[in-house]
Amino acid sequence: MISHEAQPSELMNVQVVRLLSGVSVHGDQHLAEVERDLVQMDVLLNEAIKKLCASFMAIHHAVDLQQAALDSLLADNMRTPEYAARFKTLRGEIDRHVGAAVTGLQFQDMTSQLIGRMVQHLAGLRNVFGALDTKGTDMPESGNEALLAMLNHISDRVGAHCTELAGGVRSTVNQRHMNSGDIELF
Amino acid sequence: MTKTILAVDDSGSLRQMLSFSLKAAGYGVIEAVDGEDGLSKAKQQKVDLVLTDQNMPGMDGLSLIKALRAMKNYQNVPILMLTTESGDDIKAMGKAAGANGWLVKPFDPARLTEVIRKLIG
Repeated sequence: MISHEAQPSELMNVQVVRLLSGVSVHGDQHLAEVERDLVQMDVLLNEAIKKLCASFMAIHHAVDLQQAALDSLLADNMRTPEYAARFKTLRGEIDRHVGAAVTGLQFQDMTSQLIGRMVQHLAGLRNVFGALDTKGTDMPESGNEALLAMLNHISDRVGAHCTELAGGVRSTVNQRHMNSGDIELF
Repeated sequence: MTKTILAVDDSGSLRQMLSFSLKAAGYGVIEAVDGEDGLSKAKQQKVDLVLTDQNMPGMDGLSLIKALRAMKNYQNVPILMLTTESGDDIKAMGKAAGANGWLVKPFDPARLTEVIRKLIG
């Protein structure tokens, strides 16, 4: 509580402290929710890609077996060469589709890298918000000098967290399409 | 004799796709989850080619290449980077570290095996 005798400088100090603490607490709450959702999305994507890969492999294996059975039937019955040519064409088409699917199924590797980066940035931002929180211990009793000293201290803490974050974040992903990337031999 | 490829990537799905594609092309595949694991497996068994990601927790791809090139029996083994990164600076660093080629993700199985065939048959 602020007494009626409080000076303007004291009131300002209290308001600054309240503002910083409010930004810190609410900012942290929102970021914690975003972080939780991103991690959950990564879990779901990871689970989805496992199932997609397993199903894809099973389909490919079944097609292989089917092709072997057809080849065997063709050989046994000495069918006309047109059948063999037709199955060869089909085999080529299947191989092309399999190749395209393998390229497309790599999406999770990139989305996971992006989510990892976002989580790192969110954690960094939460640290910055944490640095804004005075937790009551640094509250100056009065005077602009005390307030300035407190703000300088907070500013140093924020700067330290920003530097810490800049050094540890993974590289970003610039791909815009799920097409095969460039190849360069040295 | 079957040629063996060491595939190093921290993404399980990417390793699965690599393994599937390379085995279908007739190669043996050893998987490693990061640079340290890759180095350990390369020491256990000499491989014919190394295919590595760049961004991995712990030891990254460039550090793995440098460590492999420091080993006598890996001085002439082809090493390819397979990564999301495509900047000229990082490519130059890869080349300086001893990489033989740079492949940008995602990969196409036919193009990947074509490149590998050129290098190790």
